[in-house]
Amino acid sequence: MQFLRINMTDLTIRTETADKYTNLGGRALTSTFIAEEVPAQCDPLGTENKLIFAPGYFTGTSLVNTGRLSVGAKSPLTGTIKESNVGGTVAFSLARLGIGAVIIEGQSTAGPYFLEIDRDGSARLTEAGEYKGMRTYALVDALRQIHGDRKSITCIGPAGDMQLLAASIQSTDLDGRPCRAAGRGGLGAVMGAKGLKAIIVDRSGAVETVCAEPEPFRKAAKAYAKAVKADEFSGKILPEFGTAVLAEAINSAGAFPTRNARTGQFEEIEKISGETMAELIKSRGGQTTHKGCSQCIIDCSNVFVDKQGQYVTSSLEYETIWSMGGMIGNGDLDNIARLDFLCDDIGLDTMSTGVAIGVAMDAGYRQFGDGAAAIELVEEVAKGSDIGRVIGNGPDAVGRHFNHDRVPTVKGQSIAAYDPRAIQGMAVTYATSTMGADHTAGWVVAQNLEAFGGTIDPLGAEGQVELSRNAQIHMAAVDSAGICDFAQSGLATPEGMENVCRMFQAKSGRPFTQQDWTELGQQVMKTERKFNREAGFTAKNDRLPKMFYTEPLAPYNAVVQVGDEEMDSTFDY
Amino acid sequence: MQVRVKLLGTLPSSYRGIYPPEGLILGVPAKTTISGLVDMLGIPREQVALVTINGLLAKADDPAVENAVIKMMQHLAGG
Repeated sequence: MQFLRINMTDLTIRTETADKYTNLGGRALTSTFIAEEVPAQCDPLGTENKLIFAPGYFTGTSLVNTGRLSVGAKSPLTGTIKESNVGGTVAFSLARLGIGAVIIEGQSTAGPYFLEIDRDGSARLTEAGEYKGMRTYALVDALRQIHGDRKSITCIGPAGDMQLLAASIQSTDLDGRPCRAAGRGGLGAVMGAKGLKAIIVDRSGAVETVCAEPEPFRKAAKAYAKAVKADEFSGKILPEFGTAVLAEAINSAGAFPTRNARTGQFEEIEKISGETMAELIKSRGGQTTHKGCSQCIIDCSNVFVDKQGQYVTSSLEYETIWSMGGMIGNGDLDNIARLDFLCDDIGLDTMSTGVAIGVAMDAGYRQFGDGAAAIELVEEVAKGSDIGRVIGNGPDAVGRHFNHDRVPTVKGQSIAAYDPRAIQGMAVTYATSTMGADHTAGWVVAQNLEAFGGTIDPLGAEGQVELSRNAQIHMAAVDSAGICDFAQSGLATPEGMENVCRMFQAKSGRPFTQQDWTELGQQVMKTERKFNREAGFTAKNDRLPKMFYTEPLAPYNAVVQVGDEEMDSTFDY
Repeated sequence: MQVRVKLLGTLPSSYRGIYPPEGLILGVPAKTTISGLVDMLGIPREQVALVTINGLLAKADDPAVENAVIKMMQHLAGG
């Protein structure tokens, strides 16, 4: 495995072999690396922080749905260690060039620069000063004119250039659009602080991923793909509706944070549901089934078009429908789609931005439901105006600006589209995740809500800590393997899990059991928690904001029941 | 008694009749349970994971009530 180490201070590039990281990929690699090389108390936007891009352990192999890239750094938004995960084409492209990680260190005073990685794996920095402040779609169009279509582009927009804390890193999908986001944690600001505008990676690499036992791997990968296709959710529901199918379900359960989490149900949900969106897209000639990422067989992406059939955005996802919809009281799907596009174009996390606008509306700055005002505010971010910078720095900045204390964040990062009062397991995940309030760190929604068969009481504390703990450990391993969240159907059964272990063993040539899988996840969590402790975080930081403990959420009038001692036992292992 | 049943996601394709977009208006015996209702619709129980009655989560044994809006959803996954 080769690492590219890019020093932005002296503009040097080194290629390294990194044997000690051979069996690590994705989040395990980024978090181990950050913990070893980044001082925990450093300034996240300073010269000591490092930004690392790492494909998953299985990325580049024949295993489906492994086109995931982990992006790691110390987060300027949360102050914690961070791994933000993105699909598109870049991870597969890097892996097929034989590159296991790209490490960006130092800081350019003259930048910004492009990092270009050619088909032979060689790399160079080129000046990008004239592109500073350019939006991502225009940037990608300009780079396509120069470099052609066979490039994967990972870049920042004006928000990243301005080092705003809700800035994302955008990456191109299979159609070449910069619509895939490593959104969380403000890592776009770190990229901007380094002086790096874009990474341009050739997509023609053909380096075979090292695999000790190719035939057993191939057989296991084939069985995995079959399981993903056979599963009802990944094989049938996601291709038809995408993640937006969750909107009606979560709202029905009273867990759809609405108007800055004042209630758990949005009365206009049917206007913005996955079912409505799919009908609308079909009627206008868009695509409800769309392949966004390399190696994908689920096709959960979509292409949202306007009344004239013209492209608006891709892909409109559940979390954005929530953050730009229910969270700001907005029942206009076209407006939400426009906001999604703007965030991708300006390089902003749709969740942090939507919640930031929700907090501003809650403080009385604008009216809930005013979608036009939301668009104006996002445009203000691109302009770099005073209010734009407040919004672009995320919900905590908005709360401080308006002296408003109803700010639904943990460690500075906003919650996602699941109210922790109605799904108490998500309260544990939000509070104790190493990344701030991160729904992907331990998604325990299904276990809480699938009450038809009876699983766990979503409004009670019992069993929630154990549920979240196990999910967080499991997800740390999934993120390290580079497996797409939605392809977990391939490992949802004991047979599926055995199959994944077989692939680990076949690729590494070393025995790998389910215990090793759990230990991999545990080790990642331990590494991340150690970094956070050294950065100054204690158990007192593993708490939700007061509003979730004191404001009953309709329709169940629930508050968070999980006590501090229970929260603190999450990582007793 | 009468209830309105809304099938979400891909569940309409599992209904044995023609599913109208506004949902089904059904006449059912009093005290019909949710699981009984699922059976009446001909949908395999394992396909239904989440049910609400008038916006509140319901269990398999909960009875439907007069003029209730009952929403049925398939399994959830995500993150």
